[in-house]
Amino acid sequence: MTQRLRIGYVPLTDAALLHVVKAQNLTAEYGLDIELIAESSWANIRDKLVAGHFDAAHMLAPAAIAVSLGIGQIEAPLMAPVALGLNGNAFTVSKALFEALLREAEGDMSDPRVTARALARIVARRREKAEPPLTFGHVFPFSSHHYQLRLWLRAGHIDPDEDVRLVVVPPPFMAETLRKGQLDGFCVGAPWNSVAVAAGAGIILHQGTDIVQDCPEKVLAFRTEWARSHKEEAGSLVEAIGGASRWASSPSNRNALVTLLTATAGQDVPAATIERILGYPASPSASPLVATGLRFDEEAIKASPIQALWLYTQMVAAGQIAYSDAFAEAAAAVYEPDSSGPPIPDTAAGPAVFDTPAFSANDIPSYLASLKATGPSR
Amino acid sequence: MSRDLRIAVIDKNPLRAAILEEGLRAAGHMSVTHIDDTADLLDRIHAIDPDVILIDLESPSRDVLEQMFKMSRSVARPIAMFVDRSDAGMIDAAIDAGVSAYIVDGLRSDRVKPILDTTISRFNAFAKLKKELETAKSQLEDRKAIDRAKALVMRAKSIPEERAYALMRQVAMNEGKKIAEVARSIITAAELLG
Repeated sequence: MTQRLRIGYVPLTDAALLHVVKAQNLTAEYGLDIELIAESSWANIRDKLVAGHFDAAHMLAPAAIAVSLGIGQIEAPLMAPVALGLNGNAFTVSKALFEALLREAEGDMSDPRVTARALARIVARRREKAEPPLTFGHVFPFSSHHYQLRLWLRAGHIDPDEDVRLVVVPPPFMAETLRKGQLDGFCVGAPWNSVAVAAGAGIILHQGTDIVQDCPEKVLAFRTEWARSHKEEAGSLVEAIGGASRWASSPSNRNALVTLLTATAGQDVPAATIERILGYPASPSASPLVATGLRFDEEAIKASPIQALWLYTQMVAAGQIAYSDAFAEAAAAVYEPDSSGPPIPDTAAGPAVFDTPAFSANDIPSYLASLKATGPSR
Repeated sequence: MSRDLRIAVIDKNPLRAAILEEGLRAAGHMSVTHIDDTADLLDRIHAIDPDVILIDLESPSRDVLEQMFKMSRSVARPIAMFVDRSDAGMIDAAIDAGVSAYIVDGLRSDRVKPILDTTISRFNAFAKLKKELETAKSQLEDRKAIDRAKALVMRAKSIPEERAYALMRQVAMNEGKKIAEVARSIITAAELLG
């Protein structure tokens, strides 16, 4: 009898592959028995995985790295042999801020450099008038959402810690907080931007892919010690995620995937919205709920150590941890390739950011210096 | 004697929060504030300036607390999750009870531990109470269904109460079901056919 694996997840569109494993009965194919448990916070996911209440979890990639490096409240070695997808985030801003950006923008509003510079002028004017700083929401201190916001702000020479306020807001509260004017914008994953737009609370300003091409997002995280002592179960689950990725990428399964993600969304999201989040069908009238660039294909689930290094670098840039070669090595080790499957080739380049030079794993300090150079001017 | 610790309780369930508050007061903690609405959470916490924050694990606002250990501007004193490294079972017990604790930096573990112990035991007591209440409620509903089904059988077959009950019990035994399930089937059938 196979051991039942308890897997925690947060109800988001990018928990898709876990739902596919369960709904498409890949558990039988890969000799697994799994239970999916919905959680309401990333802190719960972390604590329950570390304390052994979960065997595996849908986890923010930077959160898994933070726990392993001992900077995320609890320290415990975690490993993420497979990712659960790429991209899916977007920036949504209040209508008032959108209109202010439109007035200030010199150029194409779809260019994040243009909006970042326009934002910088708004920020400067508010400072002159001694108005409170603009407030932007993200989902967790160790999240790509947080880092994407910081990268955008830096492009406008806006200091993310001094010139604006960055706060964590639980995704279910984002739209409401934006409508009440307590937030001016936020970066959140699917389907929450679409939910906010549908509720008339805000306007999508940029897709996450405008800021970072193929941004690492969620991973399937295990306690390293558990994965080592349960090689068979962990290996089968990783293979099942591969199977789910092939299933989800097949055009013939699109409708079934949309139905599944609509049913598992955790709130009322129309199937048509899920279709657009996934980028199909390509409808010219889809704007402003455009595709998020969310990817579940086999390339997208490779946990490549260079992505872990890139995320660690973002943590350093955010002032969450110091730079050291030892930390960099420990971060890369979290994305340990699955030993039971074929070796995962290293993609040569890390995730590409719109406004910074290419990321090189061999020279992180100079990449960090270039981030600083594009950063706050004061 | 050190000053009384200020404690903030974040819980959507007002009954559970009241039970916890009562327990903390009984243990000598007079400065307990319940936050039920998680809008403006940071501002509320800033105003209370608590030494200890107790939060229900079902609250998505746990992630809001996670940023506070670094956010010096919003919160006067840095806050961290309470992890007693000498007590491995503590996190486990807290997760089982459905609660988590955050403390201001530097607060001694021996001052916090009894508070968390009280919290865990009150959360567990509340869960037990809730379960007992649900059991009592479902027993009452079973009782009502059985009485209604019995009346239907009595009328349909013109038999006295004891025989109707014996008949239902016989069917339940033969089919390996609870008598309440048989009663519900009778009611459903009667509604369909009636």
